[in-house]
Amino acid sequence: MKNGAILFLGLFAALGASWAGIVVGSSTQFGALAPYYDQVADQSYPNGLAGEAARGQLVYRDLNCASCHTQQVRRAGFGADQARGWGERQSVARDYIYQPFVQLGDSRVGPDLANYAARKPAAPDAAAVYRLLYAGQGGMPAYAFLFEERKIVGQVSAQALPAGAGVTARPGYEILPTPRAQALVAYLLSLTSPYDYPEAKAAPAPTAEAKK
Amino acid sequence: MTPNDPTFQPAAQTDEELLNAHEALLAKQPDDRAHYKLMPLALLFFFSGLILFAATYLNRYSGHFDKTIYDENALPTDHNVEVKIDPVVFGKQLFASSGACVTCHQASGQGVPGTYPPLAGSEWVNGPDERVISIVLYGLQGTVHVTSKSFNAAVMPSFGPSGFNWSDEKIADVLTYVRQEWGNKASAVTADQVAAVRAKDGAHTAWTEPDLLQIK
Amino acid sequence: MISASAPASAADSGVVEAYGHRPLLFLAGFALFWLVISGFFALVAGIQLHAPAFAAGCSVMTHGRVVALAETAFVYGWLGGIGLALTLWILARLGGEPLRAANWIVAGAAFWNLGVALGLVGIAAGEATAIPLLELPLPVQPLMLVAYGAMAVAGVLAWTGRRRDVMFASHWYAVAALFLFPWLFSIAQVMLLWFPVRGTLQALVAGWYGQGLWTLWLAPLALTAAYYVVPKASGKVLPSYDFASLGFWVLLFVGAWTGGRHLIGGPVPAWIATIAIVAAATLLFHYAIVWVNLRHAHGAGVPLKFLGFGLSAYVLGGVLDALTAIRGVAEVTQFTYFSEAQHQLAFYGAISMMLVGAFYYALPRLTGRPWAWAGLVRAHLILTGIGVVALVIGLGGAGLVQGTDLNNPAVSFAEIAAHTEGWLLLATAANVILLLGNVLFLINFFKSALCPFYAAAVKSYRGEAALEAAR
Repeated sequence: MKNGAILFLGLFAALGASWAGIVVGSSTQFGALAPYYDQVADQSYPNGLAGEAARGQLVYRDLNCASCHTQQVRRAGFGADQARGWGERQSVARDYIYQPFVQLGDSRVGPDLANYAARKPAAPDAAAVYRLLYAGQGGMPAYAFLFEERKIVGQVSAQALPAGAGVTARPGYEILPTPRAQALVAYLLSLTSPYDYPEAKAAPAPTAEAKK
Repeated sequence: MTPNDPTFQPAAQTDEELLNAHEALLAKQPDDRAHYKLMPLALLFFFSGLILFAATYLNRYSGHFDKTIYDENALPTDHNVEVKIDPVVFGKQLFASSGACVTCHQASGQGVPGTYPPLAGSEWVNGPDERVISIVLYGLQGTVHVTSKSFNAAVMPSFGPSGFNWSDEKIADVLTYVRQEWGNKASAVTADQVAAVRAKDGAHTAWTEPDLLQIK
Repeated sequence: MISASAPASAADSGVVEAYGHRPLLFLAGFALFWLVISGFFALVAGIQLHAPAFAAGCSVMTHGRVVALAETAFVYGWLGGIGLALTLWILARLGGEPLRAANWIVAGAAFWNLGVALGLVGIAAGEATAIPLLELPLPVQPLMLVAYGAMAVAGVLAWTGRRRDVMFASHWYAVAALFLFPWLFSIAQVMLLWFPVRGTLQALVAGWYGQGLWTLWLAPLALTAAYYVVPKASGKVLPSYDFASLGFWVLLFVGAWTGGRHLIGGPVPAWIATIAIVAAATLLFHYAIVWVNLRHAHGAGVPLKFLGFGLSAYVLGGVLDALTAIRGVAEVTQFTYFSEAQHQLAFYGAISMMLVGAFYYALPRLTGRPWAWAGLVRAHLILTGIGVVALVIGLGGAGLVQGTDLNNPAVSFAEIAAHTEGWLLLATAANVILLLGNVLFLINFFKSALCPFYAAAVKSYRGEAALEAAR
């Protein structure tokens, strides 16, 4: 190789090929996926994030929760995702079309959250999520900086965390979630896979011939 | 400075020598000494093997480059099956949707005596297809006799172009449901039938009983 | 085998470095600084894996942010800086002319490191993008791009202005790294941050960028150095040099196709993962050629020891990439510490070790004098060698345990944490060792590269003082 021009053109061809093949190719294929309209229910799926949940996703992003939590359920028979109650079907591209910042994640130090609000056996409620964020649990560190301790004026406010299970405020004080915590919890509780898209249905078990 | 002095590694050849030696390697004829060399052959075999594997694997597990295939074992025929909607299930949902049939005719299909006529056992519902399609598409006003009782208090609204503007499928499905529920045993209505009536009557106004009875 | 007859050290230094050594030392010095910084954050992040409450009280030290800080400082601060410094130096050496546009290097290096510093502050403050390997906050990224361009100008000038028309393997890799990074970086910026694509395409573009960063920028930077230093220090020609260009083109054309490697079983159509798997397997050919050509790296001398280690890690990493791309294996290793082990093997074990080896070779030629302390060089070699091996084994072991446990729904997360704790402690110990080794490296660098300037400055000051006194 002596010719600089050939090297130069080759380099750009190399990058351009992979870009065209993977990025542009899949972009034309599923970059503009339409929501799925269910005639029976007269509804389109998925739905966009509500305002507070969308702000919560920004909190999720700036704390980089994706460094420990994925948001993708693999198909039954490929890992134990569904057996762990993380979802009842495989996640598909259509699930994410309205998420401004897709947080698939690549590490499962903690459990998957794709279907957090509807997880089995027991779906979490807001109070439980606040407590988990404030006090931490097991491998999940406490995110106490998302809360503030405030002097009780008059009555205890409705949003205050109930005492017990790791939540202890000084006497005369109450622990309140900051707007960031509220947004984050709204986001976490919006995480569901509400609809079984046709492409998400499990493929029939491969025949013995097709298996190898 | 010895070669093993960690603080300084002497150069064993100059840059010029480096360039010259490697240029000479490329310039020489590949078979200049007719020596059998294992390495190039082994590498070529290895490369061919990888290409073979790549091609085979890609061919088998590409999922036919289909955007709906998420399981690499699947074939496109497994998917793309059109989703079948059961007209009775859909029709029931439409019947019960807010502002629609259930408001007047009730979930039991009995209507309200004296005000809203019943659908269960109604000779209109179980009568000719076109009649009942016409009623739903364009509505009905004036006195109507159902199961030998007279109703005049209410107006049946149009679910077609001048009213709720339902699609042919929706009207067909809700009629199919109504005609098979509460002991009714009339035939199913298809979207094509509804489309035919719609095409024939265009922007018809609400029907009256005598006009409807003309339809056989 | 052709062997150079006489040691070439006498004729081997001088004119080439005449204009380039200070900008390159400036760039390399900052890179070393970021290496130590990233080591600190990596240690904190590692401790948090087995002691989640560690330093979790403030938002800056949240695990997610610390991970992003460590990665950014390591990839953009350390690998980018040192790789670029060495690449520019090698292009100048092979071109046979002093570096031109040295001022551009200084300006570019200043803004590049400013960008890294601002980026780290931004990440700590919560402005990270949460995209692996592209964590730098959005406003910093254009600055980094321009700064990189300024430095690359000097490299391109050294390439086009080379004295002879011949091109050596290092040339190909160097030119590839110089040209491809800006394109890759700007495409990723536009498609992920300025005008984000929709849905899981984001994850795919991020994957393409991450693999591209590795195969089209970092690996070429390291191979530029390896292909140059190994024959220079060993005195031998590359044994299968006629295959080297094939290996180069395979890396470039196939490398970035592995972009869907981390999306196996994920919410993208199956063909994306299949192509990534096929690409990872085909890439084995590249690793085979690099191994065959550079096997002389395992020779005497500190630079060759580092390079040999890095090369082994590079090839081993390639084999592991191909193995874990197999769907049955990915089912276990995906989403676990094992991926992290592979990441460390590739970035730390392979790229960083090769660049360190080349830097041990280059610095005496840039400063005109040997490294200051032989003991520190030896200690650095031993500590990083042990550290990388322990880190990869610790994370790899933890990953296999974690992966097996995750696939058994009866095992709770508390039990997984208990099962992996021992392995993670080993990884933390490794992080301590690595940090210690890199601090020694930094100290040795200061003594070797900066003290001579200081001594010269003192001498000239004293000289003037003496003149003053004599007057």
